[in-house]
Amino acid sequence: MADSASGSSADKSVQVKLVLLGEAAVGKSSVVLRFVSNEFQANKEPTIGAAFLTQKCRLEDRVLRYEIWDTAGQERFHSLAPMYYRNAQAAVVVYDITKASSLDKAKSWVKELQRQANPNIVIALAGNKLDLVQSSSAAQSGSTSEAEDEADDATATPGETPGTPEDGSESLRQVPREEAQAYATEAGLLFFEISAKTGEGVVDIFTEIAKKIPIEHILASSRGAAGRPGAAGARAGNAEGVNLDESAKPKDACNC
Amino acid sequence: MATISTALRNFKEPTKEQQTQIGFSLPQSGPLDGSEQGTAADDIERMDINAVLSMGQQGEEDSYAGKLYLMAPFLCFTSLDRRSVRFTLPLSTIRRVERLNARAGIYALSLSLWNGLKIIVQLTSLRPTADLFCSLLRDALKVELQRGQMKLCKPFAKTCYSEFLLASDSDASSSSRLEHEREDGSIIEQEKKPDGEGGHERTYLGGLGLKFRFPGDPKKLREASKVKLWTSYLKTHGRNLTLLRYPQCTRLVQVGLPNRLRGEMWETLSGSIYLRFSHPNYYVQLLKDNEGRTSTSTEDIEKDLHRSLPEYAGYQSEEGIGALRRVLQAYSFKNPELGYCQAMNILAAAILIYMSEEQAFWLLEVLCDRLLPGYYAPSMHGTLLDQRVFESLVQRTLPIIHEHFQSVDVQLSVASLPWFLSLHATVFSCIKLSPAYLSFRYINSMPMIFAFRIMDCFFCMGPKVLFQVGLAILKINGDKLLAIQDDGQFLNLMRDYFASLAESAHPKSSDPRARAITKFQELLLVSFREFSGITEDLIHSERKRFRNEIIHSIESFSKRSAIRNLRTLGQFSKDQAGLIYDALYKAMCIVPPPSTHQNVQADLLVTTANGEGVEEKPETRIELKTFRYFLSEIATWARDEKIVSNGFQQRVDREVAEHEFIDRLFFFWDTSCKGALSFQDLVNGLDGVMFNGLMENIEWFFNLHDKNKDGYLTKDEVLVLSETWLFIFRFEVGDAYLGAISRFMTNAFEYGDALLPENQDSDVKESEGGGSPPPHVSSNQPYLNLPTFRMVVLADEILESFFETDMSASFRLQPLPEMELPVSSSGLLGDIWSTIATDSNKKIFNMFTDELGKTIGKHQVIHRPSIGRYTKLEEPKARESLLTPSMRRSASKSSLNSASASPSVGLTSSSTLSVDSLAISSSSTSTPPPPPPAKDTATPVSPVADSERGPLPVVQPAMLERTPFAIDDVGSDSDDDEEDDEEEDDDEEEDDLEDDDRVMDEVDAFLEAHDSGLSEADKAVAKDLLKAEPMK
Repeated sequence: MADSASGSSADKSVQVKLVLLGEAAVGKSSVVLRFVSNEFQANKEPTIGAAFLTQKCRLEDRVLRYEIWDTAGQERFHSLAPMYYRNAQAAVVVYDITKASSLDKAKSWVKELQRQANPNIVIALAGNKLDLVQSSSAAQSGSTSEAEDEADDATATPGETPGTPEDGSESLRQVPREEAQAYATEAGLLFFEISAKTGEGVVDIFTEIAKKIPIEHILASSRGAAGRPGAAGARAGNAEGVNLDESAKPKDACNC
Repeated sequence: MATISTALRNFKEPTKEQQTQIGFSLPQSGPLDGSEQGTAADDIERMDINAVLSMGQQGEEDSYAGKLYLMAPFLCFTSLDRRSVRFTLPLSTIRRVERLNARAGIYALSLSLWNGLKIIVQLTSLRPTADLFCSLLRDALKVELQRGQMKLCKPFAKTCYSEFLLASDSDASSSSRLEHEREDGSIIEQEKKPDGEGGHERTYLGGLGLKFRFPGDPKKLREASKVKLWTSYLKTHGRNLTLLRYPQCTRLVQVGLPNRLRGEMWETLSGSIYLRFSHPNYYVQLLKDNEGRTSTSTEDIEKDLHRSLPEYAGYQSEEGIGALRRVLQAYSFKNPELGYCQAMNILAAAILIYMSEEQAFWLLEVLCDRLLPGYYAPSMHGTLLDQRVFESLVQRTLPIIHEHFQSVDVQLSVASLPWFLSLHATVFSCIKLSPAYLSFRYINSMPMIFAFRIMDCFFCMGPKVLFQVGLAILKINGDKLLAIQDDGQFLNLMRDYFASLAESAHPKSSDPRARAITKFQELLLVSFREFSGITEDLIHSERKRFRNEIIHSIESFSKRSAIRNLRTLGQFSKDQAGLIYDALYKAMCIVPPPSTHQNVQADLLVTTANGEGVEEKPETRIELKTFRYFLSEIATWARDEKIVSNGFQQRVDREVAEHEFIDRLFFFWDTSCKGALSFQDLVNGLDGVMFNGLMENIEWFFNLHDKNKDGYLTKDEVLVLSETWLFIFRFEVGDAYLGAISRFMTNAFEYGDALLPENQDSDVKESEGGGSPPPHVSSNQPYLNLPTFRMVVLADEILESFFETDMSASFRLQPLPEMELPVSSSGLLGDIWSTIATDSNKKIFNMFTDELGKTIGKHQVIHRPSIGRYTKLEEPKARESLLTPSMRRSASKSSLNSASASPSVGLTSSSTLSVDSLAISSSSTSTPPPPPPAKDTATPVSPVADSERGPLPVVQPAMLERTPFAIDDVGSDSDDDEEDDEEEDDDEEEDDLEDDDRVMDEVDAFLEAHDSGLSEADKAVAKDLLKAEPMK
């Protein structure tokens, strides 16, 4: 399928490391599975540590190869997260629109990323499980735009995000779209409401991130050092073990 | 939004004795959870003695020299090499002990077990030692008899499949067994026969596999042959509670346990069977007691129930899900601190295929508690620690790979973390995620089988297996690993490798036998042969080496996130907030808050009551006791500091002060009225006082004492306020403050009286009387308002300066001295030291030197003042201008009052005085004080720790120079006896024979030289004993 296993460095595409964060059971792995294989599994096993997948994303002028790190959501895995988001150029912070507390957790992830991660990281906030609050017709219209054979190279379909339907099962919703949107704007995040189940909005996240990523920056830095961007800096600090130490991070990108 | 845990600080390295216990898979001594009291067996002295073990039947096994341990209620033995032979026998399985009549000078015992098994141990220590051992053994057996444990063996054995297996084997009615079993060992459902068919009642416990079938192809797994081999082993070497582990046992485990027997062998090998044996009905009762209880753990469990091995048929039914739920919940009830961690669901689901709920519960207990300590704890410190240990082992044994990873900045943990967390079980199930898996759906349950085989070895040989297998995975893929450039490629490589485990390791070999070897077999061989140097001892010492590093990084991580999660820092900088955190943390270490799970529940209740879900996350809150300690770290007046010098040493004794004022502060800061303060509350509270100016401080102090917040202090409150001052100033030198407080009270009462509303009738009368006693004011009547209070305070220079600077400055954020981590002592010296250098001993030492100091007249105690502004004794004068002469006149009366109210304070200050002058005179004469004892604890330890860091000769860098596998030339190597055994089974099908042969090939691949530790002569003696008669 999409993934050619070992990423041959001869590949023309630009590699982008992307990490998924968010509370347990908000559907991080499902979002990835939708994006990578265009599939949906109802009962996915919880992620232990992190899962790793790759997928290409084609824009008009370039091809990105996402290296996706899908992390475990349970609170106690939190301390392992720095291992996965170090050197990441993009992050998708997922919450569940039917669970208010999951947005709080998402906010705390955003805060942590903005302070501890790569200073140029592009962060997207994604409210998952849109299908649960939509009337059935709206959900279907979302999935029809999703061609089945599109999985290989998820082509950019920068469609407008459908408006929030005001009817039916909307009562399940605990996080108003406006609230999350306002927060995202304030914190400078990309914002989406999506459904991994129907596929709605999933590809959009990755294409929008792709547009926002400073590709030239990545190319420049990867051409320079033999390794990957930021690698050298992190190595200098403490290259051994699970690195929890803030001091090893390049620079505190504190904007709060 | 923060939970702060001090659990890591409480870690204690296992003592030598505990290590021995762990080595024998014994349950930890002492009560399980406080519900039972220690048994009488604990009183019996422990003892070990040199011994030679022989089996009761001639020719069955060699004799082995080793050590016999009496650790009531268990009798244990291990051979000298500590791996060839060992047993752990509950004393209650021993029915008879006889002294054998043997050659002169030989002291031998014959032990008969309840199931007829006979063991002979020859005690090779000196005669008196052997006598002592025997008498202790006799006592211990008596205790067991009295406890009634002996009767429990037989009914317990009924729950074990091994007994059923042997019974049906010896009945020659093995057909009756086979009738009901499928090839994989699961039970064929029979049509319900009307009653009377009691004979086939299943008494043994088993897992979901009995009904939903076991994963894997029984033909390929060669189930029948394995069952046969095990049947004969168990027959001669004991089973379940009485299993004796000879080399053959380990080798049979290494080729994979048969499905039916797997669950029981897991609990036997891991030792969880002893827990189940000694706690009948515990599991059922635990569930019953906690019925309907919910917690964050049960919520998390609920989320994951349908996400645990969902492709296994058992977990698509309510039966399987229910069992999984009950086991996980029961564990979370038993160990609420740990609760539930993702990955436990996958382990529990895996073991429930092979064992009953009760068995699985106890195995989970042993797993989380002993085999994988700290892996699933909220901080996951065990996982992080073992990752660090693993990395250091990679560095040692595979330096080239390690170097390469360093140079391309690849983190080992991204791949190895799940290997350890789920005993390699998820690794195989994670293959599902990979696109490669999608095209290999037909192998379906195949990878799971490999995971079970690793679990077989893990339970048999302990946690080192995880390290050995991990290293072997890296070594086998060494060439490819050297080509990877980043984490992603690393993971992809690992994934492809796991997906290919069922393939041949030598597909191009001309030898069909070599071709038949799968990559998985190769993996196990490399693990156990080439990394045999990875021992439990090595891992133990490595863990010790890195523990502090890991604790430190976890603590600094949680500190950072606690500070980050503060809603507001107030006017504090991040560093200052860090200091507050440190003080809080230290306080929590010393006065731990009530266990967190209760807090969690309380918080949940709050949440549901609000319905708003504002505060969803459990938050660590401290209670008054902890708060007192916290404050004593920060506020100078919240501690009693005595500088003690006694001619030998000078030290500062610090005690936490207790006063109503501190309690008042606690409730003042508890704005959400929870009876407990969070980190945020503390930051807010300190923020409200530490940055204040004069006026703000006066107001703050006023509000603090204005209980009903009506803007007035009552007369009582004025008194309380004065007492607060007396408390704060209790150690000040001189009478300055005392005077100031007296003046304050006089003035406050005068102004207060003057400001009383005129319409009170009693006032009218008495004000006419002029110099009559002050009007009576009911105690709770509003009396003094803020402006008046301010005026009175500002009338006094001392009080003014207190509010201007001293009060805010009495809160000091100072970096705490680095707290001592649990000393990682090792060796004899360390052990001794750690038992000596306890807190109570230090206290005794201090008391002792104090006494000495008193006798030689050099003992002095000085209280360190909280403010310390006035070091001279003269009293600064009160500000004259603000007070009218009439006011001053009445001052003398009430100053008398206040003086009598606090005679103790007066005393203290005067005694301080006298001591002070003494101190000055003696300090010049006394010899330089020895360093405080706290520092001493570290010094004797360090050389030991250093020696550990030296190169370990056992583990050689083995990278890329793989020796040919023994299995390649297995034919010549094979054990003749066993071959013969196989050939005797003439009635077996040829197919079976070949299978058996293959199993044996595999078994032989694990053949190792086992040193019995005996000379030929010793062996002859041991053999002789087999024929010896009991003494009359």
